[in-house]
Amino acid sequence: MLFWFVAALLTVGASLAVLLPLARRGDDERAAESNDLEVYRDQLAELDRDAARGLIQPAEAEQARAEIARRILQADGRIAESTPKAPAGRMLPRIAATVAILAVPLVSWGIYAGIGSPGLPSQPLAERLAKNPADSTVDELVARAEAHLAANPSDGRGWDVLAPIYLRLGRYGEAVNAYRNAIRLDGASALRESGLGEATAGAAGGLVTEEARAAFARALELEPEQPKARYYLATALAQEGRTAEAKAAWQAMLAALPPNSPWHAATAQAIEQANSELAAAETPPAPGPTSEQVEAAADMSEEDRNAMIQTMVAGLDARLRENPQDPEGWARLLRSYVMLGDKQAASDALARGRQALGEDSDAARNLVALAGSLGLPATE
Amino acid sequence: MVEIGHFALVLAFALALVQSVLPLAGARSGNARMMATGGPVAITGFVMVALAFAVLTLSYARSDFSVVNVWENSHSLKPMLYKITGTWGNHEGSMLLWVLILTFFGALVALFGANLPATLRAGVISVQGWIGAAFLLFILATSNPFTRLTPAPIEGRDLNPVLQDIGLAIHPPLLYLGYVGFSVCFSFAVAALIDGRIDAAWARWVRPWTLAAWSFLTGGIAMGSYWAYYELGWGGFWFWDPVENASFMPWLAGTALLHSAIVMEKRSALKIWTLLLAILTFSLSLLGTFLVRSGVLTSVHAFATDPSRGIFILCILTIFIGGSLALFALRAPTLTAGGIFHPVSREGALVLNNLFLTTATATVLIGTLYPLVVEALSGDKISVGAPFFNLTFGPLMVPLLALVPFGPLLAWKRGDLLAVGQRLMAAFAGALLVVLVTALFVDGASVLAALGVGLAAWLVFGALTDLALKAGVGSVPVGTMLRRLAGLPLSVFGTTLAHLGLGLTTLGVVGVLSFESENILSMRPGDTAEIAGRALRFESIDPVKGPNYTEDRATFALLDEAGQPYASVVSAKRFYPVRQMPTTEAGIRTMGFSQLYISIGDQTADGALVVRIWWKPMVTLIWLGALVMMGGGAVSLFDRRLRVGAPARRRKAASGRPGEAAA
Repeated sequence: MLFWFVAALLTVGASLAVLLPLARRGDDERAAESNDLEVYRDQLAELDRDAARGLIQPAEAEQARAEIARRILQADGRIAESTPKAPAGRMLPRIAATVAILAVPLVSWGIYAGIGSPGLPSQPLAERLAKNPADSTVDELVARAEAHLAANPSDGRGWDVLAPIYLRLGRYGEAVNAYRNAIRLDGASALRESGLGEATAGAAGGLVTEEARAAFARALELEPEQPKARYYLATALAQEGRTAEAKAAWQAMLAALPPNSPWHAATAQAIEQANSELAAAETPPAPGPTSEQVEAAADMSEEDRNAMIQTMVAGLDARLRENPQDPEGWARLLRSYVMLGDKQAASDALARGRQALGEDSDAARNLVALAGSLGLPATE
Repeated sequence: MVEIGHFALVLAFALALVQSVLPLAGARSGNARMMATGGPVAITGFVMVALAFAVLTLSYARSDFSVVNVWENSHSLKPMLYKITGTWGNHEGSMLLWVLILTFFGALVALFGANLPATLRAGVISVQGWIGAAFLLFILATSNPFTRLTPAPIEGRDLNPVLQDIGLAIHPPLLYLGYVGFSVCFSFAVAALIDGRIDAAWARWVRPWTLAAWSFLTGGIAMGSYWAYYELGWGGFWFWDPVENASFMPWLAGTALLHSAIVMEKRSALKIWTLLLAILTFSLSLLGTFLVRSGVLTSVHAFATDPSRGIFILCILTIFIGGSLALFALRAPTLTAGGIFHPVSREGALVLNNLFLTTATATVLIGTLYPLVVEALSGDKISVGAPFFNLTFGPLMVPLLALVPFGPLLAWKRGDLLAVGQRLMAAFAGALLVVLVTALFVDGASVLAALGVGLAAWLVFGALTDLALKAGVGSVPVGTMLRRLAGLPLSVFGTTLAHLGLGLTTLGVVGVLSFESENILSMRPGDTAEIAGRALRFESIDPVKGPNYTEDRATFALLDEAGQPYASVVSAKRFYPVRQMPTTEAGIRTMGFSQLYISIGDQTADGALVVRIWWKPMVTLIWLGALVMMGGGAVSLFDRRLRVGAPARRRKAASGRPGEAAA
């Protein structure tokens, strides 16, 4: 509302700037101009001063004076000659003036209607972070928590709240950090340890690494029935290719789960997957790492493992080049590159992904938002 | 709030359209009321753009990431100063600053133009309106800084770290005041061509605008040069980079314009040439804008590039340069010749100055555009670097500099070279003495270096001789002399200061080029190094966390003869995580006019640090000289004769208006 009021006010002001001079009464016929005469008179006076100061020789001064006098005569002659121009009809100026006065509001409102976003309020960061949390977006809440934790880094509860949110947003690196802080400050709990494990695995692209396994193991020490830890430890077995053992672990877990646990569906699905994998062991699933690969990865040194992950990422990259209409794939590729620390490739992937998905599509925008949350630098 | 700025910008465009047509139509048809709209419309247009600019700045200050431009170029953790300067540290914002300054000059003409004939004033304001409308359309169509983003991201992508510096607060505004200031000279030229009346008075009316633009451009270029010197970490002050050349060409042409306008004002001669220079100077400014903004060149100035913008600016460029030159070709034959003069005279000296300066401009233009043309035609990438410019630009400048002291001493119309030579004897003897002292007593001075220092001294002494002679040193008693000195027109002091500053800059350039010493070595904490007879010790290197960066800060201690530290220099390498970019923060200590410059490189595996140390003798004179030149321009600007020209009747009537009083 305020915007419309101010915009109307500005329009009126701008229109008046055109209207007022046009509406002024009086001297339509202007006097012949004598501005240049003033200049020449001043030149004469200056010449006299210079001559008095001795800056210029008397003979030279005389010549210069004659020259300026000639200019004055010329200018005088022109003024005498120039009869005031007859105003070019009464109609034409009036039409021009009317068009000009109308042009200001019409052009401005017309263009603004095309390119403006009048309904969009300004959103200064400080205000966004201070408003009622119920109205905030997840990003804003996270930023708020981050600002709070930057000021009070020893607030364990803050880290505890933030960590699962990071996890859900797929910001695994930050989730790992948050869980570690929470554990350091408020002590270990089964929930925190299993969360740390999940974040660590997420950061490794879904691979339950040795580190993640250790975290899950610690969680089970604190609470032997912790479903997340059990589920992931079984997944670790499956990833090593010990599918039968994994299936057994999942089955045992399923039997022990309380009836209203949210883990029923996931576990059942995992068992089903294990079954089909056992049935057709020789046909590995296409996108994820195969069990052989994972098994190999478990024994590898850090460098070799990185090399293998890189090969897999390159495979994903190649696949996306052939079949680019895959928002999920682009997101995974982006995350993988950032995780590998290859910013250049990540920016490149972002650019290609945006192009493939269409610059203005929702999918492309999500991708850009993801890139922003991963701390990817601006592409130029 | 943001949208109010957006709307004000659109409104400014509508006003610019009216400004383009109405006053000029009034001037052509003799309608005083239509002409009178020019002033209020120009001022209101400026207020609207200023409002838009203020709103954008506020969005930056408050980190409003719902504005795409803010999100792309800011970060909530940046210090407040860089949030604000970040407003013009990007393509869209800098174009808005460009237009802000353009409309600012339009408003100034409206406010201080009471001494101009009404038709000329209306014409000038209309031509300013054309330029304003073209660039506002460019902004709205291709580079709108008020494009919104919803939902708004929570954090921005930060500003290019190289630009996070106090230099961004000063360099672009000054440079643009210069660049865009020449638009007024252009508008004067075009308006006069349309009007068909071009005489000595015109030259006087356009002079203050030329002086103001030239002073700002001088300051802007010098500031840019100093910024590059300390921020890029190579210790060079001028790189012959195409973007630098883009600002240097209008400066050379503007300097020529400044001098030829003197001849036109005094003798009513060189009219055609002066008009052409006024058109060319602003055309070179436009060309610079095109080169920098179109993405033809890649550099720190280019920001984000987009071919559609390049084509748009190319169209603006073609229309304005082509149109004004066509108008010039149409009207130039009707101009009457002015006063005649002997080759050896003040006029002759100024013509010589113009010949050298325009040739130099052409040289720089060729050196800048040739690689682009070659790349466009054959696809080969070539670079025309410092060697080309040193071989062509240098030899052009040396004779020009040698001739500078003669100019102000020569009489108008017909000068006496012998008499002038006699009067310059003292200055020449002084310069010769400086050459001998340099050659004999300064270690490692080559003959060329000594001559270079002598040339600088010749300029300084020559400039002072002019002032001394005009005050009557030696021929009148001291009291009279001082009275005469105080009574001299300010423009005389302006000339002296500008030529003196030129001498100082020359001295700085010669000093650095001839006597600089450099030492590159790898150091560990506790190691000492020598440079130009000074010892310094590498004390320590410590990690430091800044607001939006981390840095490794190396501390060096300067040691006196007893080995005791008496001062310290800090040099750092910064890393900005958001953009993943490193920058160098050179450690600089100024001693007298010279500087010690330390830049650190990477740490080697065994913990040693690669350190580059320079001793740069008299380097600060390069920029101090430019400041003195700028001061000369400012002093000239306040000369009383530049305010004359309003007919007495009107002056009285208008004396109550604030604009008049300030003028």
